[in-house]
Amino acid sequence: MRRISLLSFFIFWFGMAGAQEVSIVKYEELQEAIAAEKDKLLVVNFWATWCGPCITELPHFMEVKREYEGDAGFKMILVSLDPVRQLDKVKQMITRKKLDTEHYLLDDNARMNLWIPAFDTSWGGGIPATFIYKNGVKAEFIENGLTKSQLKNLISNHKN
Amino acid sequence: MKQYFLLMLISGLLISARGPEYGIGDPADDFSLPGVDGKNGSLSDFPDAKGFIVIFTCNTCPYARAYEDRIIALDQKYKSQGYPVIAINPNDPVAQPKDNMDAMKVRAKEKKFPFPYLQDAGQKVYPRYGATRTPHVFVLQKDGDRNIVKYIGAIDNNYEDATQVTERYVEEAVENLLAGRSVVTSRTVAIGCGIKAKR
Repeated sequence: MRRISLLSFFIFWFGMAGAQEVSIVKYEELQEAIAAEKDKLLVVNFWATWCGPCITELPHFMEVKREYEGDAGFKMILVSLDPVRQLDKVKQMITRKKLDTEHYLLDDNARMNLWIPAFDTSWGGGIPATFIYKNGVKAEFIENGLTKSQLKNLISNHKN
Repeated sequence: MKQYFLLMLISGLLISARGPEYGIGDPADDFSLPGVDGKNGSLSDFPDAKGFIVIFTCNTCPYARAYEDRIIALDQKYKSQGYPVIAINPNDPVAQPKDNMDAMKVRAKEKKFPFPYLQDAGQKVYPRYGATRTPHVFVLQKDGDRNIVKYIGAIDNNYEDATQVTERYVEEAVENLLAGRSVVTSRTVAIGCGIKAKR
């Protein structure tokens, strides 16, 4: 019995450790966070809990991220486009899918018409959408789901 | 603000120059697609219309669901003024079974859709219009026997909460057309669900 409670304690503890912080931001704050990564290759993925293809591709993103573990010149952030009232659902998905990276929730629905074209003039608003920034400058924009090898190729095209 | 308008203008130009899909001012083709009433539906079913609010939408996308009541309200407000809503479900029913004709019939009945709800069987219509997501609106204005694209984009600027909407893009476009004016904001973008293409 004691062993079970100890076990459940550990499961709980690791579960909590996996529950990442989600920063709730407006467009300008997200732009600042992206611009702050001046010396890195930064992968930014837009997703939502309701987006099936997003949930399909995100485990591949995590695999690729793990391959760059310890590389200070690489970073990945995920931006949820779920409504802020569904923050709990976002956190649950992060824990369930082990999305172990930096998380934002872009709480700026009323201004989509400003920030979608500001990210890329060709962005029609579909997700998944992935951006790669090299030293703070946009190098890639893909409005589609990516396989693991597609993502790896995109990164290696720009990684020193 | 000025920069933003310039950006919108440039993006509009880029998009309209990009491919075969419709831009503002292009004539849109009619279609004949199976509807939830068991009959085929087309623009030519409305000989007295002044134009159309063509909306690519579906049963399954949370954005599309969030807009169902507002789409019904658009039809109720503008059908009598000559701009009926025509809803087209562009998703492949194999890739997304909950968007098949049976499911469409169920949803149309549940929500008492007052407008035609058609299936883009064969997925030929949405690529021609250049629809990429649901919901994606195309406001057309009749000009003789042609239907000219006057607005492409979102319904309004808040999918989450109808009470927080500050810009009603489709209503503004239709009101301008009804008043004989040109459409001021003729293109908008919004996050939505990508259209499920046949695999």
